[in-house]
Amino acid sequence: MSCFDKLKKAFSSFAEKLSSKVEESPNRSTQDRATTSNQAFQDKLGQPKSEQVQDNEQPLSQKEGASSSGQLGPGSEQRSEEPKKEKSGLFDFLRFKEITEDDVSDLIEELRIELLEDDVSMEVTDKILEDLKNSLVGKKVSRRENVEQLIQDSLKKSLREILRKNYGERDVIDTIKKAKKPYVIVFFGVNGVGKTTTIAKFATLLKKNGLSVIIAASDTFRAAAQEQLAFHATKLEVPLVKGKYGGDPASVAFDAIQSAKSRGIDVVLIDTAGRMHTDKDLTEELRRVVRIAKPDLKILVLDSLAGNDALQQAEYFEKNIGYDAVILTKVDADAKGGVALSLAYELGKPVIYLGMGQDYDSLVKFNPDWFADRLLS
Amino acid sequence: MLDGIREAVRKFLGGNASYEVAVEEFIKDLQKSLISSDVQVKLVFSLTNKIKERLKKETPPSSIGRREWFIKVVYDELSGLFGGDKEPNVNPGSIPWVIMLVGVQGTGKTTTAGKLAYFYKRKGYKVALVGADVYRPAALEQLQQIGKQINVPVYGEPGEKDAVGIAKRGVDKFLSERYELVIVDTAGRHGYGEEVKLLEEMKEIYEKIKPNEVILVIDASLGQKAYDLAKRFHEASNVGSIIITKMDGTAKGGGALSAVVATGAPIKFIGIGEKIDELEVFNPRRFVARILGMGDL
Repeated sequence: MSCFDKLKKAFSSFAEKLSSKVEESPNRSTQDRATTSNQAFQDKLGQPKSEQVQDNEQPLSQKEGASSSGQLGPGSEQRSEEPKKEKSGLFDFLRFKEITEDDVSDLIEELRIELLEDDVSMEVTDKILEDLKNSLVGKKVSRRENVEQLIQDSLKKSLREILRKNYGERDVIDTIKKAKKPYVIVFFGVNGVGKTTTIAKFATLLKKNGLSVIIAASDTFRAAAQEQLAFHATKLEVPLVKGKYGGDPASVAFDAIQSAKSRGIDVVLIDTAGRMHTDKDLTEELRRVVRIAKPDLKILVLDSLAGNDALQQAEYFEKNIGYDAVILTKVDADAKGGVALSLAYELGKPVIYLGMGQDYDSLVKFNPDWFADRLLS
Repeated sequence: MLDGIREAVRKFLGGNASYEVAVEEFIKDLQKSLISSDVQVKLVFSLTNKIKERLKKETPPSSIGRREWFIKVVYDELSGLFGGDKEPNVNPGSIPWVIMLVGVQGTGKTTTAGKLAYFYKRKGYKVALVGADVYRPAALEQLQQIGKQINVPVYGEPGEKDAVGIAKRGVDKFLSERYELVIVDTAGRHGYGEEVKLLEEMKEIYEKIKPNEVILVIDASLGQKAYDLAKRFHEASNVGSIIITKMDGTAKGGGALSAVVATGAPIKFIGIGEKIDELEVFNPRRFVARILGMGDL
C-alpha cells in the first residue's frame, strides 16, 4: 500500500505545483484548470496502473522503508527536479503509450510484402524496415493515435527522404544549358531495357529546350540497331553518326563528338549496344567508349519491370564503369519501380527520368515525393 | 545475401532446436531465397506453406538421410510447378506448325524468333519467319537481317500498319508454299493503360492466324509483375509455352516461375546469349537449382 500512498502524495504535490503555477501565469490558467479537472477522473483510471507499479517497485519501497527519511526522500527529489518533466512523466502512462515490438510486428510484415511486391530488393526491404522498427519501438504515442497510421506515415516519410537525399534539386537540362559545349552523354544498360527509345525521347526533350542534338549510333552489333536510330533521327530531324556493323563503337562516338564540335552542336547522345553486365569483353568495350568519349554524364538505363536483378546490374555497372544517374523505363506497365528505392538506398544513385510509354514525349521528370507515395499506394 | 538453400539445410540439421522450430527457420530461409530470385511473393508463401506441411506430416524413408529428403521435398514441390523432372517436348505436334511469339517490350522476341528458326532449321524443318511488329522502328529490318544470316525467308510489309493483316497474309503465303514451321514475331506490349488496345490487337492476330502454339517470351530479370503480365497475355491469346531469355546474366528467373503458374504453360527453351545458336532446351533440374541459389542438383 505504501506505493499507492506515494502515488497519492505525488499527485497532491503535483496539484500544489499546478496551483502555484496558475498564480504565476494567469494566462495559462484555463488550460491548466482543464488539466486539473481531468485529474480526478484520471486518478481513477490510474488506479489499476498503480497496482502494476506497486508490483514492480516492491523491492525498492522495502528498501526505502528501512530508512525513516526514505519515504520523504523521493518526493522531495522529484520536486527539486524540473517540474515540466514531472508533468509529462505522469501523463505519459495515462495519455501515452509506448510502442512495443509486438505493436509493430504484424504491420511490418504487411509492409514487407508490399515493398517486395513493388520490386524493392530483398536486402533493401529488410534494411528499411529494420530502420523503421528501430525508430518506432520505444517511442511514446498518444493513445488516441492510430499506431498503424503512424507507422505508414513514418515509412512514407523515410521513403521520401531516401529518394530525395541523392536526388537533389539538380535539373539535368539546366546543367546542360550552363555547361561547355558539346555536352556529351552516354547511355548504357543490359539488353532490351530501352536505351535507344530513351535516347530518342531525350533528344526530343533537349530540342524542346532549344538545345541542338547529335546522336552517335554506337551500337554496331545488334541487327537493325543502326536503322532503328536512323528512323528516330529522321523523324526528330536530328543528325546521326552511323557506324558499320561489327565496327568499332568508340570510333563512332569519337566521330560524333568531332562533328558536334565543328558544327557547334550543344549535346551529343551516345547509344551503346545492350550488354549483359556479366560479359567481360563487352564491359571492356564499353569502358573504351567511355574513355574515348569522356562523357559529361553517364546514364544507366534500367527496366522497372526487372526485379532483384536490377540492383545487381546497377552494382556491376557502378563497379566497372561508373555512372551519374539512372533512367527507369517501362514504368507505364503498371510497374511500381521499387528499384528506384533500392538504388537510392544502396548506391546513392538518383533516378532522373521515368519512361512512361513509347511516344517521344513520354519521358517524365522523376519526382521523389510522388514516387514514394506511389510505392505505398 | 543468402548463400542458398544448402546453408539453410545445414543450419537446420546442425542446430539443436526442436524439429518444429527448425522447420520454421528453414522455411523462412527458403522464402528469402525464393523472393530474392523474384518468384512472386504470394506464390512463395503458398509454396512454402505446402512444403512446411509436408515436412511436418511426413517422415523421411529410412533409406535416405534427412538432409537429402529435405532437399527432395523442396525440389519436388518446385519442379512439380512446371511439370516435373522431364525435359519438355519441343517437336511440333503436327505439320505445318504455326508459332506466334508474344511478350513485353524488349524481352527478346525478335532475337528469339531467329533463334527458334535456326533451331528448327537445323533439325531439318522447312522454316519461315513473319514480321508483324509494325510499331518499333526497324523491327522488320532486324528480322530480315537475322533471316539473311540463317538463310530463312522473312515475310514483311514495310510501311504497312495493319499488324493483323500482315500476320494473316504472311502465314497464308508460307503455308501455301508448303513451309512446315512458320514463326510469327509480334510487337512488344504490356497491355496496361493505353496499351490495352495492343492486347486486343494481339488477340485479333491470334484469332485470325489460329497459331498451333503461342509462346510467351519473358526476360529472366522480370520481377514481381511477372504473374499479372503473364495472366493478361494468357487471357488474350492462350499461351501454350514459355521461353525465358537473357539467362546468361545474373537474374535467377523466378519471375518465369510465376508466369508458369499464371498460364499453366511449360517452359520450353532458355536464351543464353545474343548469338543465333544461344538457345537451349529447358532443363527443369538446373533451373530449380538456380532459383534456389545452389549448384547443380
